[in-house]
Amino acid sequence: MQLQVDKVTLSFGGVQALSQVSLEVDKGELVSVIGPNGAGKTSLLNCISGFYHPSSGRITFEGHDLTHAPPHLVTRYGIARAFQNIELFTGMTVLENLLMARHTFGHYSLWDNLWFYGRALRVSVENRRICEEIIDFMELEPYRKALVGDLPYGVRKRVEVARALALSPKLLLLDEPMAGMTLEEKEDMVRFILDIRAERGTTIVLIEHDLGVVMDISDRVYVLDFGQVIASGLPEEVSRNPRVQEAYVGVEHGA
Amino acid sequence: MRNPWAQTGNYRTSYAQDTTIFFNYREILSVGLLLVALCLLPLFLERSQVLVLNFILIYAIAVLGLNITTGYAGLISVGQAAFMGVGAYTVALSAPSLPFWLTIPLGGLVAALAGFLVGIPSLRVKHLYLALATLAFQEIFVWVVGRSPALAQGSAIPVEMRNFLGLEITFRNHNYFWYYVILFVLVVLVVAWRNLLRGKYGRALIAVRDNDRAADAMGMDPGRTKLFAFALGAFYGGVAGGLLAYMQRAVVVEEFTLVRSVALLAMAIVGGLGTVVGSILGPAFIEFLRLGVERLSEWMKANPFIQSITPAGVDVASALLPLSFGLVIVLFLMFEPRGLYNWWRLVRSYFRNWPFRY
Repeated sequence: MQLQVDKVTLSFGGVQALSQVSLEVDKGELVSVIGPNGAGKTSLLNCISGFYHPSSGRITFEGHDLTHAPPHLVTRYGIARAFQNIELFTGMTVLENLLMARHTFGHYSLWDNLWFYGRALRVSVENRRICEEIIDFMELEPYRKALVGDLPYGVRKRVEVARALALSPKLLLLDEPMAGMTLEEKEDMVRFILDIRAERGTTIVLIEHDLGVVMDISDRVYVLDFGQVIASGLPEEVSRNPRVQEAYVGVEHGA
Repeated sequence: MRNPWAQTGNYRTSYAQDTTIFFNYREILSVGLLLVALCLLPLFLERSQVLVLNFILIYAIAVLGLNITTGYAGLISVGQAAFMGVGAYTVALSAPSLPFWLTIPLGGLVAALAGFLVGIPSLRVKHLYLALATLAFQEIFVWVVGRSPALAQGSAIPVEMRNFLGLEITFRNHNYFWYYVILFVLVVLVVAWRNLLRGKYGRALIAVRDNDRAADAMGMDPGRTKLFAFALGAFYGGVAGGLLAYMQRAVVVEEFTLVRSVALLAMAIVGGLGTVVGSILGPAFIEFLRLGVERLSEWMKANPFIQSITPAGVDVASALLPLSFGLVIVLFLMFEPRGLYNWWRLVRSYFRNWPFRY
């Protein structure tokens, strides 16, 4: 197992955002986490990426303990994340945003940086090349030098995913990458996600509300409700599960 | 065939080229000419005029440092003068035993250490609260120096430098000698400053300023980045302080008080935050403003009419300087928040494609 979330509990005061949540993701899998609003999906992602630390339980990734690791350390282990409410550097261009993500791959010292000749230049050009590949891959060429703040919402979402890719992750966490998109943008994004997996072999954990998309592309699905995993398994198993149907459409009383 | 002297578009063809600072040969040439002009300038100036230039260039170095801490990393610092002071006192204490080309970097390093320590509150507090922490450091510095017998309790400590590689430094050539030293240091630090942004260390500063959550997710440690911003900014301040100590042949604590810190912040704002050009134009503007105001107040003192309308015992002249500083800052924040740099930018973009309009 590449990622293991073992009985994680997270509480804010009296509210239990997550209770005893366990989740396992294998290398190369595309696993979706679904659930109604407030079920704890984003909290779970925050725990994995280090923004929250669970009050009990354990998270491991390729042998590294992530339970108390800060986000920048989690990133160094090879986990990248695209945020739900876009967290780009709005005053910078698309290219600069992607270059930011190459921070941990800038293998040069402060002196190299201040002199900026030889090593620093070489490493920077290499990082630029990798960013350009990702720009090609995510079809962002027309926006390369556009300020992110000026771009439409759908494109920004794509930049957000592109920036996560620029971290060359082994595991990609996507938090509602299609929320608020038009149908066409959604179709593009699904294609991108499938391509990422096919071409780069990246493991993907996806949070999404569009059940059609989730059931079509996921290998396995976890369903969260009120901070608990109420079902997991293959998409068709999950969609037939009565508890899942209850959580999503409610139960008919007095029938 | 493209003409690298009058480039009308972006003709960069490799990633390496795209990291370059200068857009075309004309820009490289103009910077070269500027440097030559700066080297020749003192030949046409009197000793007292070179002194003014020296002050401007020293403040430019300190403002460059402030532009790292405040301009790039967005951490408001009102302690830059104290960092200058740390550098100056380091130089004053080590000058008798070490040559100046060692004491000045040493002053920078000790100031960087101080900056690192002052930066520690930035791990927990932000914005105005952080500004207060730097203010506290500024006040503590003056207080400690004022009570240390080893530092002459803030009164003048002489800093002597009589000889450099056989060249005797006398009262006559003192200002000229230090002008070239300061110019050299400034050029080195400007190159480093400008290169900082081309690489990951400078970019991390901006990332942490713009969105520290996202910066964290990019693998940047926001805490370390902020400490780095303080340390590097203080290093520039320390070097400036060391140069000031040599230039004035003495260190006095009055040079490094809160008023000077605020003046440095004013220079950074007037010049334009986060720019090299602004870091030099700002100090120049404020220094010339100071000279102008001093001349005006002398005239006012001598003018019988103004003397007759001011109440007895009130010195209008001494109130004029802080008043004009305040006015200038307010006017700039209101009408040109991007500072003098913006004017420079407009002029330059006009000439960039000259003789074409665009």
